[in-house]
Amino acid sequence: MKTTWCKNFALFLVGAFFCLGAAAKPSRPLVIAVSTEPSTLDGQAVIDRNSRVASGNIFESLLDRGANGQVIPWLAESYKAINDTTWRFNLKKNVKFHNGEPFNAEAAAFSVNRIVDKEFKTQRASYIENIKGAKAVDENTVDVITGGINAVLPVQMTQLVMVPPKAAKEKTFGTAPVGTGPYKFVRWDRGREIVLTLNENYWREKPTIREFSVRVIPDPQTQISALQAGEIDLVLDLLPEQAKLAPKFISVPATEFSYIQFNAHKKELADPRVRIALNLAVDKATLAKTIYQGHARPMDAQHLAKGMLGYNPKLKPYPYDPKRARELLKEAGYPDGFELVLHAPIGRYLKGEETSELVAAQLKEVGIKVKIQLHEWNAYRKLGRIPGNEANAFDLKYGWNSNEWFDASRIVSHITCDGTSSKLCDKKIDELMDRAIQTLDQKARDKYYQEVWALLNKNPHAIYLLQQNLIYGLAKRLEWQPRLDDEVRVASMRAG
Amino acid sequence: MRDGIIVLFLVTVVIFVLGHVIGDPAGLMAPVDASDQEIARLRRQLGLDRPFTEQFASYFGSLLRGDFGQSLWQDRPALTVVLEALPATVVLTLVALLFAGLGGSVLGVLAGARPESLLDRVSNFLSITALSVPNFWLGLLLIVIFAVQFGALPTSGFGSWQSLILPAGALAIIHGARVFQLVRSATFEEMTKPYAMVARSKGLPERLILWKHILRNTAVTMLTTIGWEYVRMMGGAAFAIEVVFAWPGIGQLMIHAASRQDFPVLQAAVIIAGAFVIVANGMVDLLYRVLDTRIRAA
Repeated sequence: MKTTWCKNFALFLVGAFFCLGAAAKPSRPLVIAVSTEPSTLDGQAVIDRNSRVASGNIFESLLDRGANGQVIPWLAESYKAINDTTWRFNLKKNVKFHNGEPFNAEAAAFSVNRIVDKEFKTQRASYIENIKGAKAVDENTVDVITGGINAVLPVQMTQLVMVPPKAAKEKTFGTAPVGTGPYKFVRWDRGREIVLTLNENYWREKPTIREFSVRVIPDPQTQISALQAGEIDLVLDLLPEQAKLAPKFISVPATEFSYIQFNAHKKELADPRVRIALNLAVDKATLAKTIYQGHARPMDAQHLAKGMLGYNPKLKPYPYDPKRARELLKEAGYPDGFELVLHAPIGRYLKGEETSELVAAQLKEVGIKVKIQLHEWNAYRKLGRIPGNEANAFDLKYGWNSNEWFDASRIVSHITCDGTSSKLCDKKIDELMDRAIQTLDQKARDKYYQEVWALLNKNPHAIYLLQQNLIYGLAKRLEWQPRLDDEVRVASMRAG
Repeated sequence: MRDGIIVLFLVTVVIFVLGHVIGDPAGLMAPVDASDQEIARLRRQLGLDRPFTEQFASYFGSLLRGDFGQSLWQDRPALTVVLEALPATVVLTLVALLFAGLGGSVLGVLAGARPESLLDRVSNFLSITALSVPNFWLGLLLIVIFAVQFGALPTSGFGSWQSLILPAGALAIIHGARVFQLVRSATFEEMTKPYAMVARSKGLPERLILWKHILRNTAVTMLTTIGWEYVRMMGGAAFAIEVVFAWPGIGQLMIHAASRQDFPVLQAAVIIAGAFVIVANGMVDLLYRVLDTRIRAA
């Protein structure tokens, strides 16, 4: 008697268990997974992507980027440089922050002055470089003052978000953010999720998705499982081998360029012919096809892609030509090759370790014996900044150059004689870089940078590898075309 | 008690040293393109430029006052951050322990009482399997089977009671398997002891021997094993399971803090987890003594 009761109960449990799954799932708000929890939602404080998934939908800037990555007016209606150190922005009227504070010149000036304040300790340091401050001219006009000529100010302004003066002075601003954007902050359950809802008074066309949450799921395997189970709608940064597991995936070329930097001060690497030979010795196409399963492409021998300022359309990837590489090495006086050490960080870049192995194997084919040394990130970073003599600096260094500015000026520290991360010195390059910095004429800058990359093609600072992709995993119901930068804007999504 | 305090002190010393020898929080906090001056400034602000002994003295003094420092990552007291995550870990581990204890003991007694029976063979095979696979892998397997294939339960997260089932189940399987092994062999051993044979020869039914005599003698093993399993759980397995299931306890917190080199939070989390282990240990000792007296009195 007793046993049958037990059995029945067990059967009931098993049955109930599977019925749970069979029950229809009610339609739920959109969910985006992130692997680490943001530290703060104050859009001016941090730059990491996981934070921006939430804060990027709450806050807006004076300028933004359009579909092709071009800078477009946003909270500003128009802007222009009125002299070498002053940029004037005419603001949109009748825009309000979520808490009702008006968005006007005073708020815009406050926002700029808040982030450039040294005490504020923003992580967005490169986005405030060469900005001194701002002042309101009238109700809807604000002047941004730069330290010297600053041609990338418009780029910087795409990331400098506007905050309401009253709310931003509160200590709780990082946990209860207030912006002008399409979504309002609702709540933050630490370690779990951040919930946002539609801003009913949004100044632009209202998005179709009314509510979404950003959920913390640290394990990439669990993320993909949750996507397959239909619990979440969007996963960022899938691994290449995970892409096919997702109900849908979108792979977009990112503003990330992988390369292996030379120490051109080292005796064996001083001759440009040797550095060109190393470029010819690496099969970039195979690297993209195998290790990245097609989610990358050989870059055009420049840390830029079409459409970015300074992109030189005449340059193509160095072909894979180990025979020519061996000839060049012979001409340069190294018929038997030589030995080098390649330094790479551990776990920092997607498949960085595997890429290093492949490159080392291919360089061996042309007679160059490469030993790989892996480093923890901080040690790796220090290594890259040793001022340039060959005794204690690296020979070869694997890294990614991220160009979220869409502008060649981003490379300056890597190729100029005095650049903090540079191991190349070419007076002609320095001169061109200087000239480009000294002008606000974007056409002229474009030309100078194109010339720089043409020079670098004959005197390479690196083995130019790949433009990397970002891979997004999407639920079946989600319709979205990711932007060229890595911003995740829910306003541009549709969910069936 | 005294041992516990010494252990806890050593824990604080070790993690402090590790943090300062291995890590460079300022270097990691600073943006990728920060200059050396910027990093140096940050280091000064955080007090990371002071001599090692001075830093430790001030750190330990603050600890005694219950001040674990400010989280570098969240910019609020580290203790608050950890205490906020603690309840989720406590719920998960206690539920898992309940099922591990019940399941492991019941099956262990039944299997130990009938060695080589079908039940014994099957449960023994399963428990050995569970003990041989890495715990995160077991977690992922459960997710794929029950959440993705059958869609019966949520894959991860912390919402309804359903979301507790898989992580607690995974932990219960891992630790229940060990409870099972120990209880099974203890029961088996008791069954072959002379007093059991005497009871059997007196004609007592097998069930009565088991419940009246054997169980009384294996109870100590059972309870101490369960107590030990809790210590083990809090010493690692629970944290791996939390990460796999996105369970917002101190395991997941520690992973996030580690990736941001947030030492105040890491230190606070390790010390609190350490305190838990020490308390659990003490309770096992206490329980053992209480049970022992009872057995002697009986």
